[in-house]
Amino acid sequence: MDLLEKYKKAWDNQPEEKNKVSSIDIYKMAHSKSSSIVKWIFIVGVLELLFWSGINFFVPDSIYVIYEDLNLMSLLNVFLILHYVIILAFLFLFYKNYKKISIIDNTKKLIINILGIRKTVKYYVFYNLATFFLISVVFNSIIFSDENKLMKIMNPKNLSMDMSQFITITLISQIIALIIILTLLWLFYKLVYGILLKKLNRNYKELKKIDDLN
Amino acid sequence: MQKDLETKFLSDFEQNQNIAHKICRLYTTNQDAHNDLFQEITIQLWKNYPKFRGDSKFSTWMYRVALNTAISLYRKSTRQVKTQDISEVEFRISSFDYDDTEEKQLNELYKAVHKLNDIEKALIFLYLEDKPYKEISETLGISSVNARVKMNRAKEKLKNILNP
Repeated sequence: MDLLEKYKKAWDNQPEEKNKVSSIDIYKMAHSKSSSIVKWIFIVGVLELLFWSGINFFVPDSIYVIYEDLNLMSLLNVFLILHYVIILAFLFLFYKNYKKISIIDNTKKLIINILGIRKTVKYYVFYNLATFFLISVVFNSIIFSDENKLMKIMNPKNLSMDMSQFITITLISQIIALIIILTLLWLFYKLVYGILLKKLNRNYKELKKIDDLN
Repeated sequence: MQKDLETKFLSDFEQNQNIAHKICRLYTTNQDAHNDLFQEITIQLWKNYPKFRGDSKFSTWMYRVALNTAISLYRKSTRQVKTQDISEVEFRISSFDYDDTEEKQLNELYKAVHKLNDIEKALIFLYLEDKPYKEISETLGISSVNARVKMNRAKEKLKNILNP
């Protein structure tokens, strides 16, 4: 007899679950909240939005004075509004994913949907990093294009120093700061969404192996 | 209407709950995780019940939804401890009027299946439940031929774990 047949007999004869659930319990469970991964991606997205917009309230006004001095306030506002519109669009996509993911589909379809979700999250993270990078580059090039502005911001006490040396030092420190912040942001996203997507990724890879999806 | 639907769902589910329990035992290794997954399966079943048109048996549909929940939509299982809590599984399935050797075999089987990956678990589960290849391929969304090939591989792997 096949080895598995022996075990299969044991499987067939296994006792029914002792802790049977009553229909009242089922009713209660059915009406409680789901903890699915896709839902958490949506929730984390909302929390993140609240977090970053919350931080804006704690930014000291003096920062904005600098931007006003540079006549960059309107540009900054345009950026911010555009940014929030795009973030809201992403949140809408996360929400739609959460609604769309219907597990009555077969496993393969489900996994394809998950692949879509993964892509959305990837674009979301990429968008956030790219925006930060772009804004930094734009603002810095505006500041660096004008020596007076640069001096005003970076050397408010008006210490006398060599201009070209000063520009080089400021530029290098700005680039280093940008790299550090981008790395931290990237790690933050990697951590938050990476944890959420880990199991989904593993199962996707497995199913892809089983049935070449492409 | 909603009330009728709910009553029907509750009685159908109550009768077939053993399916969900078996899946929970395969995909989790302790009682807390078992209960969590069971609850998640319940939620998903109820959420999708309005879309269940009765063109298949309730149990067939339940296999699909419950397995997909276990495979993909379950968050807490990532927290699972890798080392297997044998005594707890034994405790969960032991019973007085149950054959001793078969109980031992069943424990070995669960222990071995826990070492498979999520998709292999699904394949083996459907095999153990005597599901025809047609149903297996529909559940997983792969072709019958492919299901057969993969099933044989999963079985081989399981045999190697059971009898190294």
